[in-house]
Amino acid sequence: MTEPKLIARNVDVYYGEKKAIDNVSIDIDNGIVTAFIGPSGCGKSTFLRSLNRMNDTIAGAKVTGEILLDGEDIYAASMDPVALRARVGMVFQKPNPFPKSIYENIAYGPRIHGLAQGKAQMDEIVERALTKAGLWDEVKDRLSDAGTALSGGQQQRLCIARAIAVSPEVILMDEPCSALDPIATARIEELIDELKNSYAIVIVTHSMQQAARVSQRTAFFHLGNLVEYGETSQVFTTPREDRTKDYITGRYG
Amino acid sequence: MSNPQWQTPEARRRLARRHASERRFKALGLGAIVLSMAFLVLLLVIMLKNGLGGLDWSFLTGSDSTSPDMAGVWGAAKGSLLTMFVTLVLAFPMGVLAAIYLEEFAPKNKWIDLVEVSINNLAAVPSIIFGLLGLAVFINTLHLPRSSPVVGGLTLALMTMPVIVISGRNAIKAVPPSIREAAYGIGASKVQTTFHHVLPLALPGILTGTIIGMARALGETAPLLMIGMRAFVATPPGGITDPSSVLPMQIFLWSDEIDKGFVQNTSAAIIVLLVFLLAMNGLAIYLRNKFEVRW
Repeated sequence: MTEPKLIARNVDVYYGEKKAIDNVSIDIDNGIVTAFIGPSGCGKSTFLRSLNRMNDTIAGAKVTGEILLDGEDIYAASMDPVALRARVGMVFQKPNPFPKSIYENIAYGPRIHGLAQGKAQMDEIVERALTKAGLWDEVKDRLSDAGTALSGGQQQRLCIARAIAVSPEVILMDEPCSALDPIATARIEELIDELKNSYAIVIVTHSMQQAARVSQRTAFFHLGNLVEYGETSQVFTTPREDRTKDYITGRYG
Repeated sequence: MSNPQWQTPEARRRLARRHASERRFKALGLGAIVLSMAFLVLLLVIMLKNGLGGLDWSFLTGSDSTSPDMAGVWGAAKGSLLTMFVTLVLAFPMGVLAAIYLEEFAPKNKWIDLVEVSINNLAAVPSIIFGLLGLAVFINTLHLPRSSPVVGGLTLALMTMPVIVISGRNAIKAVPPSIREAAYGIGASKVQTTFHHVLPLALPGILTGTIIGMARALGETAPLLMIGMRAFVATPPGGITDPSSVLPMQIFLWSDEIDKGFVQNTSAAIIVLLVFLLAMNGLAIYLRNKFEVRW
């Protein structure tokens, strides 16, 4: 067993006075998909956003405890949140491509991080990212079209490609399929399954079926607590905690 | 058609009342528009009738004169252009930077609240007071040349900046947060997020607000009275430090003349000013449509 990619220890997240996450400790491994499930407002998205310091952009949000990426404290003064977010990419609930061309959507990240020397290399990065996101064949003839003109599912794959383009180590996905129809959702789930070989993937989802389909580990959050964390098959078939059992059998949530 | 409740006389009366109130509102709204448009049309008709005769090449290229036949509007128009140029160069960057800072970078605390309130107040301060300020600061303290477009522009910039800040902030606020998240999510810094993504999307709104503020400044007379731009200037200003007049001031001066010939000049100058304003508003609409990104 290798070192976990991300280690969280005793993490609390506050929004002003309100405690949204209470003492969460979790290890997240490379090469697998980890799902965060739980009812609305349980803090799963909040915790996800503390893994790449997106909470920094919200006024009044405060994170205490320790989160280590490859053993490095991401909240240490020496950690630049800008560099961190290139290493820990994020895909959001609503597809949010930039209102620019498909090419520009992908090229923006590599450009600001200086990943490409010259146009040819940038073309290569764009093609590789779109190919990995399973979108290349659909858009290769219209890279200069607006990213916002694509369908919802394509837009979300574009956002995944945009995240991949800066070569992250971890990809965080915040309910990436909740705005998509079942067919587009299936495409994204296939994609997640392929991507897990190259990245550590953490996905927040409302759909327990989705968690069961795509993830190898599942963490169940409730009222800001991490209630149960284990192999997905174990969490769904033989949950240790009553609260988990009640949730997955549909008694609340 | 089977529910008998809708067939009772009471139900029919209620429906009829609702339709009547809808018709009343439409008539009222239409009346309000017609009334205000009627005044505009009246103004245009009177001005065109009085002024069109005086609108010839010599009027458009001449400067002020004691004789109404010799007098022209170019001196004042050039004064207006130079003044607007100074105003734009100062107020636009300052206003946009202030708006960006307040909206994207400023911490949320009492001081920033105070700044916000001050800017909103500043936008509502009567323009004559800006004129007094300009007189005291730019002419009496800094000894900039009296009656010049540079002082007029500085004074009008003070007046226009709060308008640009307010409209700029609204435009920035209207950019969806998801765009900022997208940029932060791939590791863009705050400045990159603001200038690469937020500002381009806010630009149409900022430009519209700017041009509306500029159009207001173009028509402003009171503050320029205070800084001496009511002088009789018979040659067009060569630069921003030369004494000059501006279009609304020229209208004010001519309307004060006893000689009958200046009545026509006054109307003709009003037509020129209105054309200026129309052009600026047209530009505002054009820019908004050109830079607007749809998604």
